[in-house]
Amino acid sequence: MIRTEHLTKIYRMGDTEVYALNDVNLEITEGEFVAVIGPSGSGKSTLLNMIGCLDTPTSGSVYIDNVNTATLNENQLAEIRRKKIGFIFQQFNLVHTLDAVENVALPLFFSGVRRDLRLKKAKELLESVGLGNRVHHKPAELSGGQQQRVAIARALSNDPEVVIADEPTGNVDSETGNTIMDVLQGLNKDGRTIIVVTHDPEIAARATRTQRMRDGKLLA
Amino acid sequence: MRDKVLMAYRSIQERRTRSILTILGIAVGIAAIVSLVSVGFGMEEAITGELTMFADLISVVPGKISGATYVEQGSFTDRDLKDLQRIAGIKDITAMTYDAAEVEFRSKRTPIFIFGGETEELGSFYVDPVGLKEGRWLRENDYKACVIGDRVANDFFDDPVHVNDKLIINGEKFIVIGVFNKASTLYAADVDPHIFLNLRAAKDVLQTDDVKYIMVRVYNIDDAEEIAEEVAETINDNHGIEDFATAITMGSALEQIGSVFSILRGVLVGIAAIALVVASIGIMNTMLMSVMERTHEIGVMKAIGAKSSDVLTLFLLESGIVSIVGGVVGCIIGVLLARIISLVASSALGIEFSAGVRVMVLLAGLVVAISVGMLSGFYPARKASRMSPVEAVRYE
Repeated sequence: MIRTEHLTKIYRMGDTEVYALNDVNLEITEGEFVAVIGPSGSGKSTLLNMIGCLDTPTSGSVYIDNVNTATLNENQLAEIRRKKIGFIFQQFNLVHTLDAVENVALPLFFSGVRRDLRLKKAKELLESVGLGNRVHHKPAELSGGQQQRVAIARALSNDPEVVIADEPTGNVDSETGNTIMDVLQGLNKDGRTIIVVTHDPEIAARATRTQRMRDGKLLA
Repeated sequence: MRDKVLMAYRSIQERRTRSILTILGIAVGIAAIVSLVSVGFGMEEAITGELTMFADLISVVPGKISGATYVEQGSFTDRDLKDLQRIAGIKDITAMTYDAAEVEFRSKRTPIFIFGGETEELGSFYVDPVGLKEGRWLRENDYKACVIGDRVANDFFDDPVHVNDKLIINGEKFIVIGVFNKASTLYAADVDPHIFLNLRAAKDVLQTDDVKYIMVRVYNIDDAEEIAEEVAETINDNHGIEDFATAITMGSALEQIGSVFSILRGVLVGIAAIALVVASIGIMNTMLMSVMERTHEIGVMKAIGAKSSDVLTLFLLESGIVSIVGGVVGCIIGVLLARIISLVASSALGIEFSAGVRVMVLLAGLVVAISVGMLSGFYPARKASRMSPVEAVRYE
């Protein structure tokens, strides 16, 4: 499903080169629930951005469904992000001018789905994460946990095969964090591939596989 | 597409104050262009319209006109008039004379210019465009009658002068048989301060045979320039002075006025263009701010699958909507402004004219607004669309 080969990302800071990722070889098969764990600055978020086609590697490649993403142009990458991947951020990253249901419907907007259809689907998704009574609230009117659930609903709106979550519980209390992990586990049970980045071992324990990272390298 | 328009509209609404200010900026620029150009057209039409009535006329004066100064060289003779009659293509010739005379009304005396000419020709030149407020125009046999301009009637004497009042001109009594309306700017200097007599009476009362002004009417307007040259040459030959007479066709006067107006219009458009440049910098600034402010949002949109072209379209639509609204508002303000300016200018200058609001000008105003808006929106929009999603998302 997802495979990285010699994936390397170098940031230049003045004259020094910083290896955010250093020769990372990782394979994730369909239906896995992988937790990538490591201290901050270990490169786990960078790895996630590479897999999520948000960033391009300095060298090496990412294969998604056996397609080398380095060979794709910007529009094709956008299509992968839109159709195959659902992204959940630590900061929720909702569009603050849109209400909950519009935020959830946003990926469908970019897929060209008709307004009535996408709002209907978005409402259903919000109901499924327990926010059926909050559809017309703007992000600012929602708690952190509620915002993260809106973000999860948004990540699911295009029915992606892979859900990528970058510290999804980092900005919510532990109880909400557990609820969010329940949702992710449920999605995994439905057959979706889940990749979660966290530095919380308790969260990582709920995954089917744990990958440790340090200094841009994958630890065995 | 409708969805994207709605989306763009939403984000304009979200930043209402700034959007309104930007719209206002464009509107002011467009209003300036529309109103100034319309007023320019209106003035030009009014003045050339009046002058076109006399396109078949050539005025001949015994002197040199250079720029705004006129140096009189003498007066025309009977021989001049006779020789002119031999020039082909001339329909008729009117000789006129004028000079200052002392005029008395109810024991108040003041010097006034007396104008004498053949009544029919003089009438067609002044009565048709200016019109009489009271009484009637002179006839060939009105030897002791006069028609007076508005200032003669109302300003020059202690009491206003009316029809049937008597004026004493150089000691001779004349009865007022007509009073002109107050003339528009174009005629004010010719009509308002003057007294008009028939040619014979004028020559007698001014004690002169001098002809100071000849008007020539031609059959064919296209020949006017050529005939004017011939007229000047003939008279110059008679007097043996190279630049004795000047013959001006109304056509060349029209051309001169046309070129003055095209300069005027250029200046007006230039002023308006500056306003527009300021407005477009305003749009660009607003759009750039909007892009900066929403860097994060753009990153999120891209992260969840928006293509660069989606982002580009959204931002272009935003600046497009702002500029269309600005353009329409600007056209409306511009038309109103043009009406107001022409009303004020009409009464201030005394020229009857209405702003020449042309559909073309309005369309051009809209096209300019939209293209300025889109162009100034394009750079920020492209900047937005080219952002790397990961960097944009990280931007707070």
